[in-house]
Amino acid sequence: MPLDRFNPLLKTNDLVQDLKWDLEFRARFESDENDVLDEYPLSDAERQAIRDRDFRGLHEMGLHPYLLSQLARLIYGTGEKAGTSGAATALIRSLLGDDYDAYMAERSG
Amino acid sequence: MATISLAVAASHTPGLTGWFDKAPESDRDTVQRAYDAIHDEVAAADLDALLIIGNDHVANTRVSEPWDFSFGLTDRHPGPDEWFKPWLRVADYDLRGAPEIAKTLFESVRECGPNVRGVRENLRFDDNVSVPVTMAGLTSLDVPIIPILQNCTVPPVPDERVCYDFGKALGRAIVEDLPADARIGLLGSGGLSHEPGGPRYLEIDEKFDRWYMDLLVQGDHDRILAEATFERMEEAGSGGTAELLSWTVVMGAIGPRPCTDLGYVAVDQWRCGVGAVRWDV
Repeated sequence: MPLDRFNPLLKTNDLVQDLKWDLEFRARFESDENDVLDEYPLSDAERQAIRDRDFRGLHEMGLHPYLLSQLARLIYGTGEKAGTSGAATALIRSLLGDDYDAYMAERSG
Repeated sequence: MATISLAVAASHTPGLTGWFDKAPESDRDTVQRAYDAIHDEVAAADLDALLIIGNDHVANTRVSEPWDFSFGLTDRHPGPDEWFKPWLRVADYDLRGAPEIAKTLFESVRECGPNVRGVRENLRFDDNVSVPVTMAGLTSLDVPIIPILQNCTVPPVPDERVCYDFGKALGRAIVEDLPADARIGLLGSGGLSHEPGGPRYLEIDEKFDRWYMDLLVQGDHDRILAEATFERMEEAGSGGTAELLSWTVVMGAIGPRPCTDLGYVAVDQWRCGVGAVRWDV
């Protein structure tokens, strides 16, 4: 259950909120992601997970699932592409890990 | 006594406006007919205000700040919020509010149990308001809107009984505390099954959705509350299906009665079961 790991005090929750609410901050994230991550009061583990696009790790640290999906859109883009979005695909791939290929094969079969 | 002149509920998945054309034609037709029916109902109801009750997708508060319901008290409600525009692809709107009615209702229910707040700045709207407003053509009707944004997904989530009781308090406030000639509509916005940000993000629990819609059509609210619990919604899709708690608020406000199923579709590309209902009021 995605809500079972949720930790409201995890700072990445606030990062995603600030990125959504602040256009200039969001633009800086798009152009200088590393600087933004270094400046924001995150743990080293959070920074590394974001840089690695480790959505599963962020989920396990306590990022709310809504904000997890929004972080994926902040990184991969919010426009929908053919089939499914790059953001949704990247998120599912990370969450399912080694099970991803089998899961997608089963869905398309 | 004022009257509740309209009670409907409908899904607001962003695919309905952002990528509507990815669905098969028959499914698009079903959804369009459902929302057209809502448009027609709103147009015919001659409302003084339409309350849109929908999940706040953590757009207006920090997840560390506890809250349950937010009343939009402003005289205008512009949207959608900037960040959601590429996602939703709807025309910008600037909805007329109903601040006096909103204030009266907020004051009447603020002490009813859950954490209720009145917001005097513009709330940020995403699909919760933008999709029903656009799909039902509400901007052209110029009906005054009162948004009541609800926490359906940040623990501790007010469960089905808290939401139903909040709805009862809201319904009582509408009937007893508003001017005698006021005509109020209710629109529950959200659901059906989906799991945003979870491993089942691409899935829809069609079996749950159809079961839930059938329960509502039957109209036995005791049974709905006993069986369609927050936990059961979470099982059908964690973090998303519980948006149906907004439909629960509407049911609490109007009391036990059957409804008409306006249509249901399960389209994988939309990543959410889509349904709509209209209650007999």
